[in-house]
Parts: sequence; structure tokens; C-alpha cells
Amino acid sequence: MMAWLQSIEGSAWAVWLKESPSLWGYTTLLFLHTIGLSFTVGPSVAIDMRILGVGRRIPLAPFDAFFKVIWIAFAVSAASGTVLFFSDATAKLANPAYLVKMTLVCIAAAITIAIRRRVFRPAAVEVDASSRYLAAASILCWFGAITAGRYIAYF
Amino acid sequence: MIASWILPVCESLHFIGMAMLIGFAGILDLRLLGVAKRLPVAPLQRLMPWALLGFALNLGTGVVFIVANPGQYVGPPLSLSFVAKMFFILLACLNAFLYYVSGLKRAADGVEAGEEAPSGAKVSAAVSLFLWVAVMYWGRVLQFFGKSF
Repeated sequence: MMAWLQSIEGSAWAVWLKESPSLWGYTTLLFLHTIGLSFTVGPSVAIDMRILGVGRRIPLAPFDAFFKVIWIAFAVSAASGTVLFFSDATAKLANPAYLVKMTLVCIAAAITIAIRRRVFRPAAVEVDASSRYLAAASILCWFGAITAGRYIAYF
Repeated sequence: MIASWILPVCESLHFIGMAMLIGFAGILDLRLLGVAKRLPVAPLQRLMPWALLGFALNLGTGVVFIVANPGQYVGPPLSLSFVAKMFFILLACLNAFLYYVSGLKRAADGVEAGEEAPSGAKVSAAVSLFLWVAVMYWGRVLQFFGKSF
């Protein structure tokens, strides 16, 4: 497994990605990762805050349309993140900040699915105590994932 | 001298502020452009202080980055990607300012659930999305040139 990951890291494209001064390599991937991140976490947190009572006068149900935006952005981040991972896989797997980040991203994504099921699927969109709890956990996990992501560079 | 733990904390806050700004300004822009059309625009516009909070967070942490590492930004030599990022931030702020003072914001306040936004507001929303994405692009390029590649 490690040998396989190492052979990918050492392949021509991975070396190009890491060492080329071209803006089309590493920078473009990081840019896509950032765009995906902001359009995933941004609208998610906005929905979470609405569930928690911010802007109570805004009807909640129409926010459902933003889940499409969230998942498209998530796919962009996941795809660019996968390429970034394979260009440096063994180091990433040994980096505690990376492992914390991936754990938090998985939990946050699961919570997003749960929020959509609980809050938006029922015919009458309603907020109860447990959906407020999920919304708060969602904000914590997304902001935690962002923070752990920043710390990857420091480990 | 700036303590070593301050930079990663500020970087994390910079990304969180970015998500807040894109989250709240972005959903308004998308609504004006026709996504989630069942949302009435007026109460959504009252959420913009949250976008402003994200912007303020990034302004504050951004100043810390420059103070901690002025050479990477103001040089010498002056970083062109830094100049480009500041220029696009200025354009994005100008676009938002014009949206508020030109009457486009007030016109959009009258857009009820299910209604189409006036085309002026749509243009402003599209410009806003484009400019903030450009700001993120230059931010990334800036960091790339800061590394010892």
C-alpha cells in the first residue's frame, strides 16, 4: 500500500505538480480547493445559523435549494483534494492535522445529510432541539476542519 | 516579534472569515440570480452584517500577515499578486457600496418570494460573485509565490 502510494508520488505528474512553477499546477488545484471550500462551508454555515435562529423571519424551506450548490462545491473540493492527496500521500497520512481534518470533513458531511433529512425533507419544515444541536455541531465541524486544514502546513 | 502560534490561528480565522463572507454575501447573490427563488430578498439582505463580520475578520487577520511578513507583500519587490488581490477587494467593496447607494438594494428589498430580481441587481450580484472569486484566486497565487519554489 505504502509502496503503491510512493510510486504515485514519484510519478512524473506528481513531481510536475509539486515542482513546476506553472500556475496551472499546484496553484490552480489549491484555488479550486478554496473555491469549493468557501461555497461548501459558507452556505452550510448560513443554513446552520438560520436553523439556530438567526434571521428567524426568513422562511427556512427555500434554503433547501442551496444544498445543490453545497454538494457541487463539495465535489470540486473533494476532487481537487484527492489529486493533492495523491501527490503527497505518505506525508499526508503521517500528518496528524490531515487526519483530524479528514475526520471532521466526514462528520460535517454526514451532519449536512442528516440536517437535510431531518429539517428539509418533512412536508412541513420545522426546527426542533435536535436539529439545532446538529446545526451547532455542523458549524463546529466545518470551522474545525478549516483550522485543521491550515495546520497541515505546520506539522 | 509575533509569536509562532499567532500565524496559524490567524490563517484559520482568515479562512473562516472567508467562508462567512462567501456564505452570506454568496447566498444573497445566488438568490438575486434566481437560485432559491422562493426566498424573499428583504430579510436575506438584513443578514449582510454577518458577511461584513467575515470581511472584518479577514481585514484584521490580513493586517497581521503583512505585519508578520512584510517582505512577502509590500516587498521590495512589491508583490504583484498582493496588489491584484487588494485591487479586486477594492472593486468588490465598490460594487457592494454602489449596490447600496444606487437604490438597487432598496429595489431588491421589494422582491417577494418567487419573484425575479430586477436586472440591475442581478448584474451587481454576478459581478460580486466574480470579484470575490478573483480575490480568492489572487490570495492563492500570492501564497504560491511566497513559497520557496
